[in-house]
Amino acid sequence: MRKRPIATNDPHIRALARIVGEEAILYRKEDLIAYDCDGFTVHRHLPKAVVFPNSTEEVAAVVKYCHEHELPFLARGAGTGLSGGAIPLNGEVIISLTRMKRLLHVDLENRRAVVEPGFVNLKLTNSVAHRGYYYAPDPSSQYCCTIGGNVAENAGGAHCLKYGVTTNHILGLEIVLPDGEVIEIGGNGVPDPPGYDLLGLLTGSEGTLGIVTKITVRLLKNPEAKQTVLAYFDEVEDASQTVSDIISAGIVPAALEMMDQTAIEAVEAAAFPVGHPKDIAALLLIEVDGISAGIGEQIDDILTICRRHHVREVKVAESEEERARWWANRKTGFGAMGAISPDYLVQDGVIPRSRLPEVLREIANISRKYGLRIANIFHAGDGNLHPLVLFDASQPGETERALAAGSECLKACAAVGGSITGEHGVGLEKKEEMRFIFSDEEILAQTAIRDVFNPKNLLNAGKLFPTPGRCVETKQVSSTVK
Amino acid sequence: MSTVTSERTGSPACATASLGNYRFADLPDPSKWADCVHCGMCLESCPTYEQTGEEQHSPRGRVHLMKSVGEGKLDLTPDLLDPIFTCLDCRACTTACPADVDVGGLIEQVRGQLRQAVPLTGWKALVNDFFLKGIFPHPSRLDWLGRLLKLYQQSGLQTVARKTGMLRVMPDHLAEMEAILPKVGTPVRKKYRNEPLIKAKGETKRTVAILTGCIMDVMFSDINEATIRVLTRNGNDVVIVSDQTCCGALHVHAGDRETGRKLAKQNIEAFQGVDHVIVNAAGCGAMLKEYPELFRHDPEWHEKAEQFAAKVEDVSKFLYDTGFKVPKAELNVRLTYHDACHLAHGQGIRKEPRAVIESIPGVEMVAMPNADRCCGSAGIYNLTHPDMAQAVLESKMQNVPQDVELISMGNPGCMLQMALGVMKHGRNQKIVHTVQLLDWAYQKEEGKDVRI
Ligand SMILES: Cc1cc2nc3c(=O)[nH]c(=O)nc-3n(C[C@H](O)[C@H](O)[C@H](O)COP(=O)(O)OP(=O)(O)OC[C@H]3O[C@@H](n4cnc5c(N)ncnc54)[C@H](O)[C@@H]3O)c2cc1C
Ligand code: SF4
Ligand code: SF4
Repeated sequence: MRKRPIATNDPHIRALARIVGEEAILYRKEDLIAYDCDGFTVHRHLPKAVVFPNSTEEVAAVVKYCHEHELPFLARGAGTGLSGGAIPLNGEVIISLTRMKRLLHVDLENRRAVVEPGFVNLKLTNSVAHRGYYYAPDPSSQYCCTIGGNVAENAGGAHCLKYGVTTNHILGLEIVLPDGEVIEIGGNGVPDPPGYDLLGLLTGSEGTLGIVTKITVRLLKNPEAKQTVLAYFDEVEDASQTVSDIISAGIVPAALEMMDQTAIEAVEAAAFPVGHPKDIAALLLIEVDGISAGIGEQIDDILTICRRHHVREVKVAESEEERARWWANRKTGFGAMGAISPDYLVQDGVIPRSRLPEVLREIANISRKYGLRIANIFHAGDGNLHPLVLFDASQPGETERALAAGSECLKACAAVGGSITGEHGVGLEKKEEMRFIFSDEEILAQTAIRDVFNPKNLLNAGKLFPTPGRCVETKQVSSTVK
Repeated sequence: MSTVTSERTGSPACATASLGNYRFADLPDPSKWADCVHCGMCLESCPTYEQTGEEQHSPRGRVHLMKSVGEGKLDLTPDLLDPIFTCLDCRACTTACPADVDVGGLIEQVRGQLRQAVPLTGWKALVNDFFLKGIFPHPSRLDWLGRLLKLYQQSGLQTVARKTGMLRVMPDHLAEMEAILPKVGTPVRKKYRNEPLIKAKGETKRTVAILTGCIMDVMFSDINEATIRVLTRNGNDVVIVSDQTCCGALHVHAGDRETGRKLAKQNIEAFQGVDHVIVNAAGCGAMLKEYPELFRHDPEWHEKAEQFAAKVEDVSKFLYDTGFKVPKAELNVRLTYHDACHLAHGQGIRKEPRAVIESIPGVEMVAMPNADRCCGSAGIYNLTHPDMAQAVLESKMQNVPQDVELISMGNPGCMLQMALGVMKHGRNQKIVHTVQLLDWAYQKEEGKDVRI
């Protein structure tokens, strides 16, 4: 790409440009604004600069420089995070991994692949599909999100019900620690290495413990057969009960997704409509996979359970094309909100499956209380709710109302013994809500772990945990809410 | 959005209203950015983001910047030129976006503002004015340019220039373009000057007009000829409306919406008497269909533009929809198809040209991976942003199958760019327009000696 001569005297910018090259740094306001938030748009903050390293060495050199000069910094993948993890709250230097996007190695014999952090999730499956393999974690954002970001958020997806979330598919990581030291953990193929499970600790640490620069992942063999069912219900209760009964019947679907009426309105108004009836209360998208033998019976069982719960209409996908259409419609669901609302805020609560009807009723109450529509698109099979609070940030007060409504949804989840996040992470968005599920002591114990890795707290500070007794940070946050 | 003073300005000439820091008439449409929920699902569809990995070179980033200006957080400064003008206007993001955000349309509107706030200066302004205002809208001057090019090619001057290395004094990308210039023929507008209606072969089913295009008619008159033959062969009387002009796409892409509107008005009036306007250049077709956008603030012309746009159709879709004659002669050729951005993303036309090509006996179609990825041509983008155009072309060529003889498509701009790609990669594929294939098959059926 064209060289961009550095037009500033800021010594830090000049020094960073020497590390990564003039064509790999942004520092003008016109460019930086594009980095003032991620998929969570409620908070905005300008970074000091954005650098685009091309190698682990460059990442380490940038980190070392920031560490020595006490510059706050953070990692960013595709910026699809929904909890504000990549928002430069403290005017960080953003280390963007989008140019480290090589597929380094594929080893089908041992069913593994090594990728750089900026490699896009779906591209991995696309690169091995013709050989009969795939990468299982499939967040709906998989068209664009990076595997580095997936590791940081321990991303899940529709098919994680049966196959597990990202952490179950990570075999090794190369990490640049917050002082610039490069370490490797796992990766040598030992399934359960002695000592602490550092891979487990790092996966899902939301970019607060180190910057992932290389990832060894597990690949799976394509299932022999796959069948997908679409079921329309007139009552949310019936759909919820169907979910419960499918699981208690001992069936483990690969995916079990639900959408409610408002969500259906959005996806049908958006770019990938399927033709779902607009007057149904809820739909279920159910997929089973595995060896061919037995799939037919599983489908029959599922159909029977649906009918037992007064399904209005239920059908099995007749072609791969039809199946793909149903999934495209589901997976673009969040973005589809743009078709019916200027802004949305997605929550990510987890509840015991059996409490689904009750919590959905509570969410409907919250929606009425705040006068904001709430759509639900979620992984029903594992009780991972995604209430999408629809609002218009240009209307005074609506953003605050939306935030409050979202927080109350999480409270409802915590109240039935659930959790405040299933897969989108805590980030900036839900750090206060951590108090719904952890005591001060429990939070302190966790920040103590962070301090071991990140003693100066320069890496992605102000995320993941509330800061007990230090209200400065919270004030700063609220002042950025526009 | 609180700063909207007036969304509809009375006349496009007065600059009284403003929207955040947009302060020139013909304000951008804030509902276009309001649709964007910042989900990022468009990122990977964007060829410029693929190259740089930078958000301000992505659809989401661009929308965010354009919105920031509308919210008064950012000014229309020279530093905005790079994010806004590096966009290829390829519309791939609109296909990918779940919320149907019209990023390309917004980019064009904002370019209109930015070009006024930061006018071109120096040689760029000269070149821009010379070609966009001085040449393209004027058929006679285009003819003159064509004659000059022809002279250059026929007089032996081209050979001399190539041999003596005179071309080496030109910037690389211009010298490369020179190498792939097609052989200039006689513009159909000129050729049929005294024959404004070309009769259908056999029974006349309807009368259609064709957009001859500006540069198209000079550089690719053979495609216009093929279009006429294919249309008349399928029962269409073809008229060549004489006052038609350049579609204005290049002007609108460059932010000169005023000239765009002027040309649009001329075309709308020129084609008033016909029911169908058939276009064989995807970029022009998309522009004609988007004329109403240009008159958002002018109800009278907006309505005329809507009526006009409804008459416009791409030649491949028109043939497909009206039931073209399937040729009987075999072509016996292996080929692949490239989706021109302004056909696939701009007009949603994908299956029709493929169906036309695949109907020809003996044609073996090899699928091109990511066929609807931009080739980097994008109007005059390959001249204004040679580095990016080159990188995008490089990435496109990786996907072009090796074992084909022809690469077919529906846009002359892409044809030049793909020819460049083929040349640079030492490949030997020929580049053809979809209608040329059909034309060849028909000619062969008539017993003519056809050489592809
Ligand atoms: C439409 C939509 C649908 C979504 N659906 C799902 C879903 O189904 N399941 C799901 O789990 N999530 C989902 N998400 C959330 C999001 O896509 C995931 O969290 C994803 O893993 C983020 O990846 P990213 O590359 O965009 O990371 P970013 O947003 O760039 O970063 C996320 C966090 O990871 C950190 N980070 C990024 N890269 C690195 C690295 N290399 N090393 C260390 N830290 C790093 C950042 O600092 C930040 O804290 C969805 C988001 C959207 C917009
Ligand atoms: S343009 Fe569309 S796909 Fe891109 S971020 Fe906005 S809503 Fe999402
Ligand atoms: S029109 Fe093309 S180049 Fe421009 S933002 Fe959209 S995808 Fe990118």
